[in-house]
Amino acid sequence: MSLLAEVLAPSFLLHHAVYGSLAVGFVCPLVGVYIILRRMVFWGVALPQVSAAGIAAALMLQGLGYAWLSGGEAGERHLAIVGAVLFTGAAILALAWLERRGGSVGDGRLGALYAAAGAATILCVAWNAAGETEMMGLLKGEIVSISESDFHAMINAFAAIAAGLFLFQKELLLVSFDRDMAVTLGRSVVVWDALLYLMVGLTVSLGVMTVGPLVIFGLLVLPPMAALPWARSMGALSVLASLAGGLSALGGFLLSYSYDLPLGPVIVGAATAAWAASAALRALVDLRNGGRAAP
Amino acid sequence: MKPPLLRFRHASVGYGSSPVLTGVTLDVVEGNFVGVLGHNGSGKTTLLKTILGLIPNLKGEFAARGKAGGAPRFGYVPQKERLDPLYPLTGRDVAAMGTYRRLELFRRLRGLAREDHIAECLADCGAAALADKRFSDLSGGQKQRVLIARALAAEPEVLALDEPLSGIDVTTQRALIKLLKHLKEERGLTVLMVSHRVHVEKDLFTHVVWCDEGKAHSGETGEMLKGRLGEMFRGEM
Repeated sequence: MSLLAEVLAPSFLLHHAVYGSLAVGFVCPLVGVYIILRRMVFWGVALPQVSAAGIAAALMLQGLGYAWLSGGEAGERHLAIVGAVLFTGAAILALAWLERRGGSVGDGRLGALYAAAGAATILCVAWNAAGETEMMGLLKGEIVSISESDFHAMINAFAAIAAGLFLFQKELLLVSFDRDMAVTLGRSVVVWDALLYLMVGLTVSLGVMTVGPLVIFGLLVLPPMAALPWARSMGALSVLASLAGGLSALGGFLLSYSYDLPLGPVIVGAATAAWAASAALRALVDLRNGGRAAP
Repeated sequence: MKPPLLRFRHASVGYGSSPVLTGVTLDVVEGNFVGVLGHNGSGKTTLLKTILGLIPNLKGEFAARGKAGGAPRFGYVPQKERLDPLYPLTGRDVAAMGTYRRLELFRRLRGLAREDHIAECLADCGAAALADKRFSDLSGGQKQRVLIARALAAEPEVLALDEPLSGIDVTTQRALIKLLKHLKEERGLTVLMVSHRVHVEKDLFTHVVWCDEGKAHSGETGEMLKGRLGEMFRGEM
């Protein structure tokens, strides 16, 4: 308990890392719920990688002398955010257009996007005249070095995303569950899809900057998977997934801090443990009741 | 004579630039119970999607005019197999979707609850006991009752059902047909029902659209059973 009190104290040296990880842990699964239910898991794989490619490309251009934003480290971080948002937004627009045109994006296209983004990231890092080490830190997520103003901006953005998901839960559910019904009720599927994709894009872009692509994918997918076998409503699914994500982030941070382990993989490990425990417990309960298997 | 809610004149319906059905000429007047019948793949669902505004009419004239002047209010019952069982939704949650026509945000801010309306729709469809059960765990007939309740919750002028009797045992089919007849009379609904099971519903419809070999033939059920088309139609029954 003393360790928990220590890391949660505002005076803690790494308090940005704690609260940033917690924000990502609580908010990513709220978006991830729709990624799981709409069976868009491969989007969750591809988009963080695209976001990372955006960061790498923006910083590479700056390293090559195309500096649009001044201000040293803060300017570099802002540039990275611009790169992440632009690349993720463009990828989402392209995927949404393909989905509308052909009814489905297709795993092959998402796989190709992932491969291309991964390769582009590595090439941009290799071509960056400013040095690989600094950039690799950003790509893995450098919450520790975030400035006070950027940290607050990130928290505000995540709060806005969470509020949007709460306020428009019914509309987003309707267009996700039964698009045809939404159209017959006069709802614009395009508008509500665009809002959801915007929130997915912002969450992924900001999250990749904070904790890196691996953790973002883990937190988009694992907590909703852990919550799904127990949820009896969309509200319950969102709350349980968010709690699982937040607790995984906190538990991961405590373990990482205590044993001097890298933060990202430990958070993903904690979320995986939560999912495995949930699935095993559900299987046990179902076995006892002779009921259905967990998803 | 009442003006038609739905009017087709020499229309073609289909996807992209490929017509699935041509020569669609049809008037649907308030109070009609129209059966859109035909074999699998004959274009029944395509015609329904055009009526609902899910796909555009390719050619010819199509007009949909409700009481308020614009398109009529539809209550849509999709094929139940199309709905993903992964969603953690109860029967009440699904029925409540029928009320999502207006911006929910403002309704929540005003604190206007629609719970009574949803409960009434579920009760009218004999689905009150299914309100708290998980939708994906329900039987085919139970799902259909909840989906009809959802359509009613939209306060429709036209109830549009896509293959509501498929994958359901005969006893449940009869119960659903009885329910539809009751709802039509009780609520004064206009009903459009797509089905490939002609023999079950032949006494149900006031009008029939028979989709066959890319053509749509329509008329009053009695007329359809007389003339030359009737021979083919009776053969199917």
